[in-house]
Amino acid sequence: MPEISGFAFPNDIHVHWSLMIVMYPYITGFVAGSFIVTSLYHVFGRQEFKPIAKLSLAASFCFLLIAGMPLQLHLGHPERGIFVMITPHFTSAMAGFGLLYTTYLVIVALEVWFVWRQDIIEAARRARGLKRSLYKAMALWTYDSSPEAQEVDHKVITVLAGIGLPMACMLHGYVGFIFGAIKANPWWSTPLMPVIFLLSAAVSGIALLSVVYQVVSKLRRAPAEEPTVSALARWLWFFLILTITLELLEIIMLAYEKDESWHIISQLLTTRLEFSFITVQMIIGGMIPLILLGIVVMANKYMAPRLRNGLTVAASLLLLLQVFSMRWNVVIGGQLLSKSLRGLRSTYNPELFGREGVLMAIALFITPFVLMFLFDRLLPIHKAGEGAVPGEAKTGSAHV
Amino acid sequence: MSDTQYPAPAEAGAPQEPARRDFLEQGVKLASGAVVFFAGARALASSGGGAPGPKDNPFGEEYDWNEHRYAYVIDTKKCIGCGSCVRACRAENDVPDGFFRTWIERYIVGPEGSHVDSPNGGIDGFPPASVAFAAKKSFLVPKMCMHCTETPCVQVCPVGASYRTRDGVVMVDDQSCIGCGYCVQACPYGSRFLSPKTHTAEKCTWCYHRITKGLKPACVEVCPTQTRLFGDMKREDDPVRKIIETERVAILQPHLLTEPNCFYLHLDKEVR
Amino acid sequence: MEHSRHVFRIALVLVVAISAFVLLRTLFVPRTYGDYGPYRGGNVVEQAHVREPRHAGSDGCTSCHAKQAADRKTGGHKAVSCEVCHGPSGIHVQAGAVKGKMPVDRSYQLCARCHRKIEGRPEKFPQVVLDQHVPAALETGVCLQCHNPHSPKP
Repeated sequence: MPEISGFAFPNDIHVHWSLMIVMYPYITGFVAGSFIVTSLYHVFGRQEFKPIAKLSLAASFCFLLIAGMPLQLHLGHPERGIFVMITPHFTSAMAGFGLLYTTYLVIVALEVWFVWRQDIIEAARRARGLKRSLYKAMALWTYDSSPEAQEVDHKVITVLAGIGLPMACMLHGYVGFIFGAIKANPWWSTPLMPVIFLLSAAVSGIALLSVVYQVVSKLRRAPAEEPTVSALARWLWFFLILTITLELLEIIMLAYEKDESWHIISQLLTTRLEFSFITVQMIIGGMIPLILLGIVVMANKYMAPRLRNGLTVAASLLLLLQVFSMRWNVVIGGQLLSKSLRGLRSTYNPELFGREGVLMAIALFITPFVLMFLFDRLLPIHKAGEGAVPGEAKTGSAHV
Repeated sequence: MSDTQYPAPAEAGAPQEPARRDFLEQGVKLASGAVVFFAGARALASSGGGAPGPKDNPFGEEYDWNEHRYAYVIDTKKCIGCGSCVRACRAENDVPDGFFRTWIERYIVGPEGSHVDSPNGGIDGFPPASVAFAAKKSFLVPKMCMHCTETPCVQVCPVGASYRTRDGVVMVDDQSCIGCGYCVQACPYGSRFLSPKTHTAEKCTWCYHRITKGLKPACVEVCPTQTRLFGDMKREDDPVRKIIETERVAILQPHLLTEPNCFYLHLDKEVR
Repeated sequence: MEHSRHVFRIALVLVVAISAFVLLRTLFVPRTYGDYGPYRGGNVVEQAHVREPRHAGSDGCTSCHAKQAADRKTGGHKAVSCEVCHGPSGIHVQAGAVKGKMPVDRSYQLCARCHRKIEGRPEKFPQVVLDQHVPAALETGVCLQCHNPHSPKP
């Protein structure tokens, strides 16, 4: 039984939205963030992102494939999860998930197909036996690799990326909306919530790619491109500034307005969430990377590649932690305070084993990297023959 | 006396809802697939292709839900905190231990502070309390689902498992509920919970199996002080309707605009 | 256009997939879904028959327990339903037939739930401080030595 300080409604002492609901926005954040990076090249033509355009698209795709898993694992009746698609109730923010997720999955899958189409055709021509049939099927039995066809591909990719970018923003903005639109819970109910989720998604996506890119470069024994690393650091810094500003603004607004809920929320932040909010989300995960990236951005010219790489990776790892703690503080924090606004329950500790446990969360975080490894086997993320193995880029330190 | 002594009798006359399908009906559905996707089966029903059956009243002869609209009144000055309602609810509805479809809160208020408690929902009554401040007033407040007209819980249900009937009762279809818990988060009154037995959302139904037979909800039936009153807004001479229409009634958390159908008499500002 | 054949081909795959989903979906929509709104209409009647009522009210008790019922009519508990103290009659009688024995709780705690003096209880409601009111040891049956529970005098 959880301990209650003050008074909580008797049904309010349970944390129904568990670790899986923390993992869900965390993983969708990577999807949206990685897609933003790939779009910077494909839509906005930022050449410095060319070396990681394919990598980030693959990352977005692989995280997207399992983005629905944490929700599925959390449901009281996982076998009924498909009802969200069969009888969607459209006044529910959650019902939008089925439609939005599927549409976005289709767009990303299409973009993957068009980006790797030449590789598929090449492989279909080169491979033998069963593998050959597989690639032929993947090419949909048309093998037009003429420059004109490639020009068509290029146009389609631009259009898909152009549609995909707002879709990615909507997919993640909507995750924030799920919380932001709950008027019953003052810790969630703010129009800032979707914006904060979206910006922190960009932060987590870029941070993830900064780390993965360095690891991949190490594995390929090819130095990371300096302009790419600097650009990642620059954009990461930019999004971090916005995120931290909005996260602080949310609290300051509540405090300054002396909202009826401020009394209990200030208690929540200084007691139950003291470590995960103030220490991790704001100081270790917020201020320190802000300073590190600030140094990288402002002293970029005078910096040796090793130092720049090191600082960026360090900041990125801390930011992966920051975004996780932000998800935790929103999802779990909102359930620690009772809607009576008179009481807090004791901190929630997730189980280790089981459907919604810590090990499952770790497995969920690792799975996309395994998928990326398999993806690379099927469709080389870096040109064939260079031996890039991004699948072993396990950045597990960002976890728990 | 444990609840297990009187297991639920077999469902009497409830239509089963298995996978049995009418293939002719499916043919019509297939033909208008795209329409159905966005409009649901409702489009079919109105175009005459839907399942045969009462379109206005699912009950047939036994009861007409168009002729009732229920409402509830709680007079906080009368409540003695005996917990009879909480016990009766548990016995009537097999509410799982540690969860509550209804409960009682006790408020002890003074100029320097306030204290609220609800030991086990008040199921065994309340012990004497001692508070650190000088108490000037104290009172007991029964709580339950407000059966809102503008239901935040129904609004967020992703699969349409939660709904409000035409006679004004908010219920959960436990065959459709996926157990996501969104409605539990969305209810400002803490009236819902995920049942550890069925893994679906559960809540007060105003004892729908009683009121459709003309009985009162179990909590109203056993209340020894008539703190809890249940009535029908569509009946001219209904005492509850008279109270709501002529007395000064209050609702909980009016700023959320949920339009509750559970009204309070003599509600204090401390109660949320 | 001749170099766009692959675009049309994948578009066709997409259209086929979406159509297949939309058609398959209709097979899984419950039969009564949407009859009265975006929910399964059949559930309304299911809820109305989820179980037989277990609390039957005091009127049903009178036919067998006439003495107690008559006592109750005249005393301080005339507005208190039998089931408040005795529990749901469904334990005892179902559909007119006796099912089991009704539990009778003679403990002082049962009386104390309503009549112990506590904070929050309305001042005018009859209530006592247990240690001051009961000279004897607090044990089962102690209240019944002086009070008739079916017709208590103030």
